[in-house]
Amino acid sequence: MKKRLGIISLFTLLFVVFIAIWDYSYRTGLEGAATPEGENDYVSVVMPSEKGVFRRGRYALDYARMPIDENHQRSLRDYYKNRAFPGGPPTIPHPVSDARSMGGKDCLQCHENGGFVPKWNAYAPVTPHPELLSCRQCHVVQKVQTLFRATNFKKIPAPAVGAGANSALRGSPPGIPHRIQMRENCLACHAGPSAPREIRTSHPQRINCMQCHVPNKELTADIGIFKGKRYGG
Amino acid sequence: MYNSLTDRRNFMKKMATVSAMTAAIALFPDILFSGEPEKLLSESKGLDWKRSPCRFCGVGCSLLIGIENGRAVAVRGDPKSPVNRGLCCVKGYHSILSMYAADRLTKPLVKKKGEYVETSMAEALDWVAFNMKQTIETYGKDAVSIYGSGQWTIPDGYVASKLFKGCIGTNNVECNARLCMATAVTGFLTSFGLDEPMGCYEDIDHADVFVLWGNNMAEMHPVLFSRLLDQRLRRGVTIIDFATRTTRTSMAADKSILFNPQTDLAVANAICYEIVKNNWVNEVFVNRHCNFRKGLTQMGYGLEDHYRFKEKAEKIDFEAYKKFLANYTAEKVAKLSGVSAKDIKYMAALYGDPNKRVMSFWCMGMNQHTRGTWIQNLVYNIHLLTGKISSPGNSPFSLTGQPSACGTTREVGTYTHRLPHGVVTDEGDRALAAKIWNVPVENISPRPTYHAVEMFRALDRGDIRFMWIQVTNPMVTMPKLNRYRNGAEKAGRFIVVSDVYPTPTTDIADVILPAAMWIEREGMYGNSERRTQYFEQMVEPPGEAMSDTWQLIEVARRLGFKAQFYYEKETHIEEIYAEYRQHHDNEHHNMAPLHTLRSQPGVMWPYVGGKSTKWRYNSKYDPACTNGEAFHFYGKPDGKAIIWQRPYESPPESPDETYPYWLCTGRVLEHWHSGSMTRRIPILHRAMPHGYVELNIADAKRLQIQTGDEVKLTSRRGEIILPAAVNQRGLPAPMQVFVPFFDEDMLINELTLDAFDPISKQPDYKKCAVSVEKV
Repeated sequence: MKKRLGIISLFTLLFVVFIAIWDYSYRTGLEGAATPEGENDYVSVVMPSEKGVFRRGRYALDYARMPIDENHQRSLRDYYKNRAFPGGPPTIPHPVSDARSMGGKDCLQCHENGGFVPKWNAYAPVTPHPELLSCRQCHVVQKVQTLFRATNFKKIPAPAVGAGANSALRGSPPGIPHRIQMRENCLACHAGPSAPREIRTSHPQRINCMQCHVPNKELTADIGIFKGKRYGG
Repeated sequence: MYNSLTDRRNFMKKMATVSAMTAAIALFPDILFSGEPEKLLSESKGLDWKRSPCRFCGVGCSLLIGIENGRAVAVRGDPKSPVNRGLCCVKGYHSILSMYAADRLTKPLVKKKGEYVETSMAEALDWVAFNMKQTIETYGKDAVSIYGSGQWTIPDGYVASKLFKGCIGTNNVECNARLCMATAVTGFLTSFGLDEPMGCYEDIDHADVFVLWGNNMAEMHPVLFSRLLDQRLRRGVTIIDFATRTTRTSMAADKSILFNPQTDLAVANAICYEIVKNNWVNEVFVNRHCNFRKGLTQMGYGLEDHYRFKEKAEKIDFEAYKKFLANYTAEKVAKLSGVSAKDIKYMAALYGDPNKRVMSFWCMGMNQHTRGTWIQNLVYNIHLLTGKISSPGNSPFSLTGQPSACGTTREVGTYTHRLPHGVVTDEGDRALAAKIWNVPVENISPRPTYHAVEMFRALDRGDIRFMWIQVTNPMVTMPKLNRYRNGAEKAGRFIVVSDVYPTPTTDIADVILPAAMWIEREGMYGNSERRTQYFEQMVEPPGEAMSDTWQLIEVARRLGFKAQFYYEKETHIEEIYAEYRQHHDNEHHNMAPLHTLRSQPGVMWPYVGGKSTKWRYNSKYDPACTNGEAFHFYGKPDGKAIIWQRPYESPPESPDETYPYWLCTGRVLEHWHSGSMTRRIPILHRAMPHGYVELNIADAKRLQIQTGDEVKLTSRRGEIILPAAVNQRGLPAPMQVFVPFFDEDMLINELTLDAFDPISKQPDYKKCAVSVEKV
């Protein structure tokens, strides 16, 4: 009898201790319950360079097969006309019906993959960054052509293009004369019927553009040439 | 340093090009080059890219600015910046154009017999100092004042405070941030005891739900909003737009919930009621880290001159607070607010879900509010009750509108009651400031004088006779503008305006000083997430334009304070910053040294042990936590944050029979504040050429108004005619109108009310009553 009592009280004690410990751990756990930290340490980087080089690759063959529509080509002059400086975000050259839309699918409808738009009698240029949905954060419609006050801002000339302009040797593949930030996807501007004729590639099907065309001039950070001690500095 | 690295880089590149070509010529003598070697060399020089925070809003994007031949010619986002990660908005990309409009002020103008006469800078500064001295001798030192801005760089605000508070001995130092962020400050101080957000932008990468309280983020903080959109694309987060008007943000959000003006107070309480009712309270957090208080009610609205208010906090307990909440059931509040009980419960459920991390954002909707401090307290209540605060993704986040509203006005303390560290009413704080400033402690007056609105009232009354206005445009932005413009134009007032372009404010000036703006000088800004960012001088200012810092130093020396303003011209920014850092030499607010700021796109304070503090009050991240627990709200003496009992109270002016519409004012994406810079950027002006009044479709139909028609708005304070915009950029609720305030030819602030939050003294630009008629 005593033995049985002993065993029962032992188990009761164990049970009470278990409850106490469980309760303590439950309570301490509660505080953190709302804040599961550290599991999402992934930090999105909006703009890593070169991330989009292959993005439009699957359309490359289509581009290669497409005949050139001479009557609806854009020129490089048109391309730069609605930019405040080379590399600046272009303005929207056509009216936009919904003033309250941030862009998104309204714009991507035409500008994600391009194509001929009879309304404007032109090919819609393809955006190199369709993942940035708040289009009108950077691209605005020009409602008037007047100025509030005159400006003395000087637009610097765009990089020269054409035979030899960016090539090290005659006939060698030209380097990339502009920064690729926001424009990592080469085919968006350099291929297809909306590409300005001066910069349209003859070989979109090669896809891996940067295999031959490398950023030049001030576009890469020159950190100098490493020299080991052994060979003298 | 960034600068020398670029030079070295260019040099190396030139050398590399030359040697490559030499080698090529030697190997293949008959090869043809595309151009002459010299030509190639000059082309390879390219742009010199330098880093600076953006000139405009408080997000604080880091820009890389392309400089060529001493002119800024291109902008791109800084990919290394943890703020914008390489992206900008349309204002940022074109920000450099704001320096180059043809009507830049390049010479000082002094008003003589009603005409502005060009003079030299030295003469103009003599004249300013002379008039300041005269005013002090005739009317006393509290008759001179300075009105600055959240666009002041840190050194600008610092020398202004040192000159006026330390040397002259008047607390007449105020700034436009009183119209903008003062309520955010009192919100933080009342709930936590220390100013500025506990979290940071990185919270966006962790949060599951974003609730935007009266915050049209898609237009006002576009770069941060695109980070929200980016997270939605990647992780499927939920974005709730809780506002009084349908905007681009509403269209982009997962859910848009509209409420009647002022009833956010009731809805926030109803959310707390639901949280308590459904047992979503994080009891452990509340027991360990929170106190309950109730404050005074029926405080008035500051409409009368000499209005004063002093808060008295009374201790209450959780039970009393629960009893108070019982008045705010979802069903009751639904009637008042126009928000359905279902939507209130939905919001409460989002906040209450223990597995969801929630971020609340707000800006002017909650700040420009006659019960603004209350609504901030109430939103903090939600986060405190659920324990969703000070940890990654759990973050009540007050956004700022100006590039250095935090860095300068709030941290340097360019308000009448503030010092760089602490307040003028505290003896210890005065002693510390006096010691660093090298002035007798008696110089610093223990009595705060005028807050911004009262300062302009004092100018009108004649209590203030001299006002120096720097980097701000109050003759566009003051509420009830007619009174304050008339007051400023009265005889016997001497107004100095330092600015870069002619504005309605330079129109009232006796002396106009041309200022060097942004990257035409050296300085730092501090953004919304406690990040201090440095910029070097990149281009020369035009004509005789001079930085605000140096203008103040020149005048201080003319007033005889040479010992305190000992700085060398070449190194003054560095010297001033080093001196300023001494005020914050503690682990609650330590600032990074200048060489650290120069080396990266900003550093967040408290900067302790070579590290930015991302989440304050959380012992895991914040070395200032000393209570041995998970959280320590060390701003309060007992280390506990306060959950405030704040009721709903009606606004000072509501629509009635004569003035049946609500008027709300605000900004648009393209223009920044009073538009003096952005309207001079061709691309932005062409996108948004003038002001307008937004009407609801039903109201427009009834009044037979179409977009473009001229509409007359009338309030008790003034009237204005402007074109209508029906169903355009924004869509106000029925019987409400919205007018942006950027257009100096359509001054909507002639209609607004100068009622303010009694605690923060910040005016409410979002609510007053007007009538609408077709002209």
